[in-house]
Amino acid sequence: MSLPIELALVALFTPAAMAVILALVPPLRRTGRPAAWLSVLAASISLGASVWLFADQLGHPSRDLLESVRWLPHAGAAMANVGLRIDGISAGMTLVVTLVAFCVQVFSLDYMRSEPAADLGRYFTYHSFFIFSMLLLVLAPNLLQLFFGWELVGLTSYLLIGFYFKKPSAAKAAVKAFWVTKLADTGLLLALVVLYTHTGGFEWTSHPGAEVATIITLLLFVAVMGKSAQFPLHVWLPDAMEGPTPVSALLHAATMVAAGVYLIVRTNPLFAQAEFTREVMVWIGSFTAVFAAVIACVQTDIKKVLAYSTCSQLGYMVAALGAGSVMGGYFHLTTHAFFKALLFLAAGSVIHAVHSNEMSDMGGLWKRMKLTTIVFVIGSVSLAGIPGLAGFFSKDLILEGMLESGHTVPWLMLLGAAFLTAFYMGRVLFTAFFGELSEKAKHAHEGGWEMQLPLVLLAIPALGAGYFASRFAGMWHLEYELHLNLEAGAASGLAILGFAVAYVMYGRGAPVATPAILRPIAKLAASGVLDRFYEGLYRVLGLKLAGAVGFFDRYVVDGLMNLSGYLALTAGQKLRRLQSGNVRDYVFVVAFAIFALSAFGILR
Amino acid sequence: MNPSLLQSDHLLSLLLAVPALGAFVVLFMPRQWTRALRLTSVGFMLAEFGLSFSLLSADYSDGGYHFVEKVSWIETWGISYHLGVDGISLWLVFLTTLLTPIALFVSWTSIKTKVKEYALAFLMLELAMLGAFVSLDLFLFYVFWELMLVPMYFIIGVWGGAQRVYAAVKFFIYTMVGSLLMLVAILYLVGAYHQVAGHYSFDLLELRHLIIPRGTQIWLFLAFILAFAIKVPMFPFHTWLPDAHTQAPTGGSVILAAVMLKLGIYGFLRFAMPLFPLASQLIGPTIALFGIIGIIYGAWAAWVQKDAKKLVAYSSVSHMGFIALGLFAMTEHGVNGALLQMLNHGVSTGALFILVGVIYERRHTRLFSEFGGLAKVMPWYALFFVIVALSSIGLPGTNGFVGEFMILVGTFTSNAEVGFGPWGRVFTLFAATGVIFAAVYMLHAVLKIFWGPITHKANEALADLSFREVAALLPLMGLIFWIGLYPATFLDRSEDAVNHFVQDFTAKYDASKLDDSLRLWGVPPAAAEAVADNPAPGDAPSVVADAAGGAR
Repeated sequence: MSLPIELALVALFTPAAMAVILALVPPLRRTGRPAAWLSVLAASISLGASVWLFADQLGHPSRDLLESVRWLPHAGAAMANVGLRIDGISAGMTLVVTLVAFCVQVFSLDYMRSEPAADLGRYFTYHSFFIFSMLLLVLAPNLLQLFFGWELVGLTSYLLIGFYFKKPSAAKAAVKAFWVTKLADTGLLLALVVLYTHTGGFEWTSHPGAEVATIITLLLFVAVMGKSAQFPLHVWLPDAMEGPTPVSALLHAATMVAAGVYLIVRTNPLFAQAEFTREVMVWIGSFTAVFAAVIACVQTDIKKVLAYSTCSQLGYMVAALGAGSVMGGYFHLTTHAFFKALLFLAAGSVIHAVHSNEMSDMGGLWKRMKLTTIVFVIGSVSLAGIPGLAGFFSKDLILEGMLESGHTVPWLMLLGAAFLTAFYMGRVLFTAFFGELSEKAKHAHEGGWEMQLPLVLLAIPALGAGYFASRFAGMWHLEYELHLNLEAGAASGLAILGFAVAYVMYGRGAPVATPAILRPIAKLAASGVLDRFYEGLYRVLGLKLAGAVGFFDRYVVDGLMNLSGYLALTAGQKLRRLQSGNVRDYVFVVAFAIFALSAFGILR
Repeated sequence: MNPSLLQSDHLLSLLLAVPALGAFVVLFMPRQWTRALRLTSVGFMLAEFGLSFSLLSADYSDGGYHFVEKVSWIETWGISYHLGVDGISLWLVFLTTLLTPIALFVSWTSIKTKVKEYALAFLMLELAMLGAFVSLDLFLFYVFWELMLVPMYFIIGVWGGAQRVYAAVKFFIYTMVGSLLMLVAILYLVGAYHQVAGHYSFDLLELRHLIIPRGTQIWLFLAFILAFAIKVPMFPFHTWLPDAHTQAPTGGSVILAAVMLKLGIYGFLRFAMPLFPLASQLIGPTIALFGIIGIIYGAWAAWVQKDAKKLVAYSSVSHMGFIALGLFAMTEHGVNGALLQMLNHGVSTGALFILVGVIYERRHTRLFSEFGGLAKVMPWYALFFVIVALSSIGLPGTNGFVGEFMILVGTFTSNAEVGFGPWGRVFTLFAATGVIFAAVYMLHAVLKIFWGPITHKANEALADLSFREVAALLPLMGLIFWIGLYPATFLDRSEDAVNHFVQDFTAKYDASKLDDSLRLWGVPPAAAEAVADNPAPGDAPSVVADAAGGAR
């Protein structure tokens, strides 16, 4: 076993072991803070191994390691293997996952301080398990193992959204998230079946032919739409904000929801064979980017703004991958993980201080929370794609990819979304952090060092990750070149314009009112048309159809069986009279029968 | 125990003797000694479980029968005491010997009346189920098959709920009607064998070589599968199951779901399909269709149940549909998946019934509306329940995923003439929706029982799992993860027998569909000789090919 494999095993199994220990030893788990610290320790070991692994990979950019063992036997050989695949792509993602997870866990030490000890232990157990599940997905050597991790992160998401399970809305949101993603995951399950049938394995490097590749990738894309919250399967993500804010930062912004995008990056050899699927991705991605950005403009809950923003940014990545810009999609995934986790944690810091998610309860926070404000500005500006920050480099790459592949309309849509992005982030900035100090913000103050350290740690890559783009590209065997041309300028210009418009509208202490042009959209968003559609579907399928099946089963199927039983009994009662016990009757019957039979014989 | 006895050729007889001996001992114990009665019966069952490990000493990679015993029993009718175990029945025997003590153990305190009879019933049940799994003689199989009904009838009818008599009678009549037709079919088959071979035989390994006219195959096959389909139970013959489960005591439900339902599928696999390959290929896709209806129908019916036990019962209908689908796909993946899923369903559904029994014992109700918020007061219970629910949903890492996935692959690849032909892909699509619905009703149940605030005062002080309950559940939890994480332990020993079964079936079908003599009854001379030379042949396809060749 070589060093990278050992490092990956450490990164993978340290958190796993911790999760198992905490799950199986309740006295330890229920101590709360010691359990939390143990989990952080596991996360930091995992992070250390990942950093080493990443550095090692940087030294050998072309290395591609594969180590696997038989898992499912078939006819003396293996039907499926499990193992590790370490190349630039998985090493990079491993680092992103463990870094953000580490930051989030440290942040949670303070953020979740007031939770009862037993609940705190449970929270950190889930977190340790999440790192394992996510790395299982990231380091998977084939699609089957990727599916393992895929389902396990879905499970952790379900458990963490429902962390406050006594709250009915949280419990419902958790189940909703599980159902929607499970529905989508069936696509991945079927893709596995089709892939195996046509290639006899689960490798994404196989060439099953264009037609089959199209079917497989379409099925995969259904799963991606669920996990990465693409329209119309995005409905679970805003509700998922019921979970604790650090969870939203880790799972529902930086890593788990990006798993869909990672899946496409990983299985790109298959997607490259399927032009039709990529075209679908371009359009769905672009539409999601605009659609979610518009809705983000009318939200008043700071976490909901960020949630829709995540949807929108995932739309960018999906569109980029559809247009064939793997570097754009994957690089945006990386930078987004940093600045969006940063934004969520900063929002968490604010929520922790003002005890409310509503932006109307915030305002003027700059006066009380300098650090949080600074990092929130960094995150927002990076997200909006202002030149020089991480988000600029990756977004520029995506827009360029759209133009290069000749997708002008999607390109325009994404440009519009870039404007909206700057606008809604400006809206949050100006209403929550600047202007008059609000009533609830009067006693606001920064959290402890546990909350401040991760903000600083994440602000660094959110600022500067862009400058390493060409280095990463080399590691991923992708091409990267920065073009500073008019098209790039257009996006940056629009972003600046977005902030300017937001400043004009909210910059002078105006309340978080919805701009007049957006009111119809706000109304539409508030009514939750799509949610109601799904709810209707659930009602029809669940309460009506399943109810009908239940009734049918009870009264028709079972009724028929009972009826036949009843008929048999009645017939028995009737026939019983034949057996009267009277010998004369029997003799009569016998005589009659002899007569009848002989008559029959003679006549024949 | 005498070690030489363990290595003897009479291991299977010994396996049958232990529960019989246990029943005999219990019979002569005073009925007031409840504790001693419980200990004795569980002790015998645990010894039986330990003894079943010696079955692993054989090498199952030849796909044939091991520990074969054959003694003539009623010579003039060709009935023999013929036992054997292969990779297919091996794990089912284990399932039986593991689940029976667990089922008795969970009823340790809830059964207070007639403890002696209860223990007797379980010992007899174990004997009958094991007998059915290792019989290679149709008469012997039929005896064990019917013998199972009697203790189960009493378990439901005596120790059951309020409507126990209705449920017990329904269960008894339903399964009895099915079995009687099978008996008629067996007798017809044996009579025909006598005409062509000159002697009677109930031996499966001899009857298998009979060439049966097409039309007759269909009738005989239908008579067999009615018995098995009721037992599975397959839609639309499933309605006895929810009633039987809701009325049966926890231990009875566990055995019923975990082991007895498996005998239906085992009947298809061991008897109906090898005996009547043409008919089973002709009707198989239709049965699979009913399996798919069962998957979706059972899931939907489960969704709206108000009683937790009924939900589990309907989920069984759904899961058993999956198993039937994989079996009739007649691909190696499909049948292996079906066999593995039989174990999985036994483990997971057995555990679910135990878990439902836990809250019933505490609250004497199983209505969802009576619960909510239990995660707070019963954290261990919640953990176990969620794990089992996830295994039932088929989450990767648990046993449910492996079986379900193999069945889906097996169904999708079942596009040859033997199998589903063009329907394989359509079937896969519909079966996959069953995975979604499973998540819907299971998480619905978890939501109702565990999450949200505590709404009933009585739930505020519920005790978490007791040591005894944990002890009963732990082996099942272990198996959920063992099969889920390393299925090779189980598949390595069973898959050769399964693959032989599939190849044998295909070869026999291919040979016989071209064979004009199929309009007549007959035994190919080559096969008759093969049987005479080697009373327990491995399922080598060559024998069958010879057989078909000889007939031509």
